[in-house]
Parts: sequence; structure tokens; C-alpha cells
Amino acid sequence: MSLGHYALRRLLVGVLQVLVVACAVFLLTEALPGDAAVALAGDNPDPARIEQIRRVMRLDLPLAERFWDWLAGLFRMDLGVSLVSQRPVAAFLADGLAPTLVLATLTLLVLVPLAVLLGVVAAVREGGPLDRAVTTVSVALHAIPEFAMAIVLVAVFGVRLRWLPPTAVGVGGDLLRHPAVLVLPLVVLLARPICSISRLVRAGMIEALDSDYVRHARRLGLSTGRVRLRHALPNAVAAAVPQLAHTTDWLLGGVIVVEAVFVIPGLGTALVDAVAARDLPVVQGLAVFFAVTTVLVNLVADVVGFRLSPRTEVVR
Amino acid sequence: MRRWLRWGIGGVLTGVPLLLAVAGPWLVSGPGARSRAFVAGDGHPLGTDFVGRDVWQQVLLGGRTVLLVAMLATVLAYLVAVPWGIAAAVSRHRWVDELLMRPLDLVLALPSLLLLVLLATIAPSGSPTLVAIVALLNLPGITRIVRAAALEVGSRPAVEALRLQGEGWWRITVGYVARSIVRTLAADLGTRFTGALYLVASASFLGVGVPPDASDWAVMVDRNRPGLFVQPWAVLAPALLIVALSVGVNLLFDRALATRSGPGPRPGARPGARSGARTETGSGNRPGPRPEPQGAAP
Repeated sequence: MSLGHYALRRLLVGVLQVLVVACAVFLLTEALPGDAAVALAGDNPDPARIEQIRRVMRLDLPLAERFWDWLAGLFRMDLGVSLVSQRPVAAFLADGLAPTLVLATLTLLVLVPLAVLLGVVAAVREGGPLDRAVTTVSVALHAIPEFAMAIVLVAVFGVRLRWLPPTAVGVGGDLLRHPAVLVLPLVVLLARPICSISRLVRAGMIEALDSDYVRHARRLGLSTGRVRLRHALPNAVAAAVPQLAHTTDWLLGGVIVVEAVFVIPGLGTALVDAVAARDLPVVQGLAVFFAVTTVLVNLVADVVGFRLSPRTEVVR
Repeated sequence: MRRWLRWGIGGVLTGVPLLLAVAGPWLVSGPGARSRAFVAGDGHPLGTDFVGRDVWQQVLLGGRTVLLVAMLATVLAYLVAVPWGIAAAVSRHRWVDELLMRPLDLVLALPSLLLLVLLATIAPSGSPTLVAIVALLNLPGITRIVRAAALEVGSRPAVEALRLQGEGWWRITVGYVARSIVRTLAADLGTRFTGALYLVASASFLGVGVPPDASDWAVMVDRNRPGLFVQPWAVLAPALLIVALSVGVNLLFDRALATRSGPGPRPGARPGARSGARTETGSGNRPGPRPEPQGAAP
């Protein structure tokens, strides 16, 4: 199967996947307890007022009809408006996306070179002191929940030593203007992915260095550096690509905890706020967005993996 | 000596929080008197928390839920995933396999914390809910590994021989296939348990599925954050215990794996945990079960 064929088929499956997730999320959020109309009517609700809000929000229509409207809107890229603030959901997405994107991009920019370098260095001197140190530290670091690590770092560097600001309060969405704010979140975000990816690169590199084609390249008299960089490395990196995709996906949607600790107004914060306020259209819109990024990221990862290491089976 | 050192670090890191979590609640005699919020010292070894309770007492009380929920969730996930995965692997019909495995891909298609937040708001709050949700989030990964391992075992000549002998489905499946995959599953247990621990702690930190004034290490970290400048120990003590527990458990399981798979010089290689990866066929687009489930966070 050619690459184009493969990508096209994956794309179709991905569209289907997004649709299924969208339906599931719509039904799940409709099952949320509490009624947005009651919540909006205030502390001393007047039944007539609740009725009126319901009508305006079309909450009185049957589920199937609202679902159909919502799905139709999805195809027009219209995600509806927030129940609470009447702002379009797309505006929520746009607001939250900027900080999340800044964090994700910076994390990836540091993560990929560093993890690959660590993995390669550990693999080349397999069993050496550096390899053992990297392995042990990564086993240890990998398990720590982000919030616990973040709070310890904040207590040490933010409160005791006062080197860095403890949270991003007061900075707003413009994180790049205040680089000091970004240091601690980046460290926390990097800790776990660096462990898993450098381990995978290390394992892939060891396997590649031990393979027939590398031995053949050596026999041909190619320099060690060339063998390692041009022949062994792509296969080693290919082994880590699915995990890298998973990390990217996580960075784009799931860093709720890190945003909560450092008070960064990204997509995770938007989601937690929307769930707390029963703002269904925003929750649904965010979930669809996360599903789309998941599918796209995995698609790109599979295509990149296919290019890096054509032997890898990516059929189906 | 070196061996002692290697086991020792993991042992101490796990032992201290474990001891506090298990024995702590017995050491507390009734609710202590409340004083002002965020007082340092003054008869309280670790000061007081956001509502004036003694932090040391809360530390003693707060480990049990985290640990228990994570353990129960892991056990529950295995109880469901093992029959599920084996059923998918041994079925003769492809559509049964697809029917069993495809819905699980749906759980994998969303970040786990997002799902957790959504599900927790729908279900009634409480520890049983958290157990169920964390088990559900761990289910797809375990089921895939079970299925992959069972597929490999099921294609062995021994199974063919048993079938030719006229042994029944039950005896082949439970008596042979299920027993043969125990080793693979045991190799994976550590990752699953730390994953559950991670999810439970993160969820409690976000206030998902627990009362806001619960005696729980993760909840303590969240609720005492406003006092970080005045009384850092109210936050640091539970946070450090969680860090120690996660690191220690992971180190111990890793050590156990390395020892069991022979005295080889590769402490990082995990032969058992990844052996299923290459044999897996026809389940989703992802190439094999991921060795490190970041979605259990990242």
C-alpha cells in the first residue's frame, strides 16, 4: 500500500472516530446532573424565569432534535454558544488555545532533542554509568504525579528561594512576554515524557546498532558517526514516534493538572470551569476539539513512522 | 552491598508512606481540637491546615484512601480485563473479537484526565465511583495486553494438541491459556498500579470524586495551597509522601522485574512487558500496547 493510500484510509477512519467520540460526549454531557437553566436563574429562582431561560436556550426541545442541530452545526464548524456567557464556543477555544499551544510547543522543542540525545548516549555506552543513571532516574521520575512535583518545585524555587514566580497569576494569556513564568511548568511537563521517550529511543538504538544492516554499513567502512546518525538513528526514533504522538496529544488536551497548579488559562482550565458551570456547549466543543487533535496527531505520527522506518508494519 | 542499596532506596521510599497510610489511622485518637488556620508550630509538629486541623494528624489519616482506591481500581480492572481479553483472543469469529475490542478504542481516543473529569461529574461522588472510573480508564490497556498474550499462547502447538485430545473449551482456555499468560501480566502489574496511583492522586487533587475537606494526601495538597507562603509543610508533607510512594513503588517493581528476568546487566530492559507488542495483530491502528501509559496521564 502506498503512503498516500494509507494516509487517506486512516483519515477516513479518523473522521469516523471523531464522529463517534462527538456522539458519546454529547450523550455523556447531557447526562450531567444539574440544570444550566436552574444554575443561571440565580439564588432565588422564579419558575417562570427558569422556563423562559429554558426556552431561550432551547433546553425544552427533545434530546434528539438538539443533538441533530448540534451535529449539523458541527459540519458548519459552528460549535454553538456558551450557556453561561452567550459567547461563541469557538471564542473559548481560541482563548484557551494560545497558552496551551505555547506550553505544548516549547515542551516539544525541548523534549525531542533532549530525549533523543539522552537515549542515544545511553544506548551507545550501554551498561555504562551514564546509562544506568539515566535509566534509574527515569524509572523514578516517571511515576510522579505532576501536581505533587509541581507543588514541591513551587515550594522550593517559588517560595523559599524566590528565584521564579510561583504561579502565572496576573500574567493572563500572554505567557511569552513573561518567560520566567514558563520555567516551572515546562520542567514539570518535561519530566515524564523525557523518561518514556528517552527509554524508547535507547531501546530502539540498541536494537538498531545490533542489527544486520548496521553491521553491513560498518563493514562497508562508513564512519561510526555516519552509521549512527544516518542508519541507526531513524529506526531508533521511529520506535519512539507513537509515544511522542501520545505526548503531543496529552500536551494539547490533558494538562489540566499543570494548568490548575500554575493558574494558566489554557484549554484544561477552560474545561474544568465549563464542567463546573454546567456549560454544556463549551464542554462538548472542547471534547470534539480534543478528539480531532488526537486523531490528527496519531495520523501524522503513523505517516512519520512509516517514512522513518518503512519496514514497520502500519497496515490497517 | 550494592544489591541491598538498590532494593533499599525503593524499599525506604515505599515503606515510609505505606506504613503511614496503613498504620496511621490507628494512631489517631479522635478528632483533635481545631485551632486557627495555617499556624506553624504551637503544639502542632507540622502546623495546622486550611481549617485549623493538625497537619500531622491529617497526614496519618490521609494515606489510606489514596492507596486503597488505587489498589481496588487495579484489581477491578484486572478482574474485568482478563476474561475480556481472553474471550477476544480465543474466539473463532473475527467479528466477536472486533466487537469486544473496538469499544475500548473509544476510551483510548480521549485523554484520560478529560474522561475522568467528565465521568466524575455524572456519577455520584465518592470513593466507589473513583475506583470504577480509574478501573475503566485502565481497562483498555490491560485488555490489549491480555489479548496479545493470549493470542500468542493460543497459537502454540500445545493448544492444538489439547484440542485434538478432545479437551473442552473451558479446560483449554482457563486451564492452559489463562495460566500461561500470568507471567506476562505479572510483569505489567507494576506499570498498571503506578498508573492507577497517578490517576487517583491527580483526580483527588482536582477535587474529582472526593469531598472538599477529605483527609486525603492529594486533597490536602490542593486545599492547603493558599497557605504555601505561611505554612509550607501543610502542602509539602503530603506532596512529598505521594512523590515518595510513586517513586518507591516504581523502583521496587522495576527491580523485581530485572531480578526475575535473570541477572542480566540491563536494568532498564523489560522483556516481559513488551513481549506482547510484536505479536499483536488486528487491533486498532496503534502499533502494540504502549509500554509506558502516559495517558494514565500523559
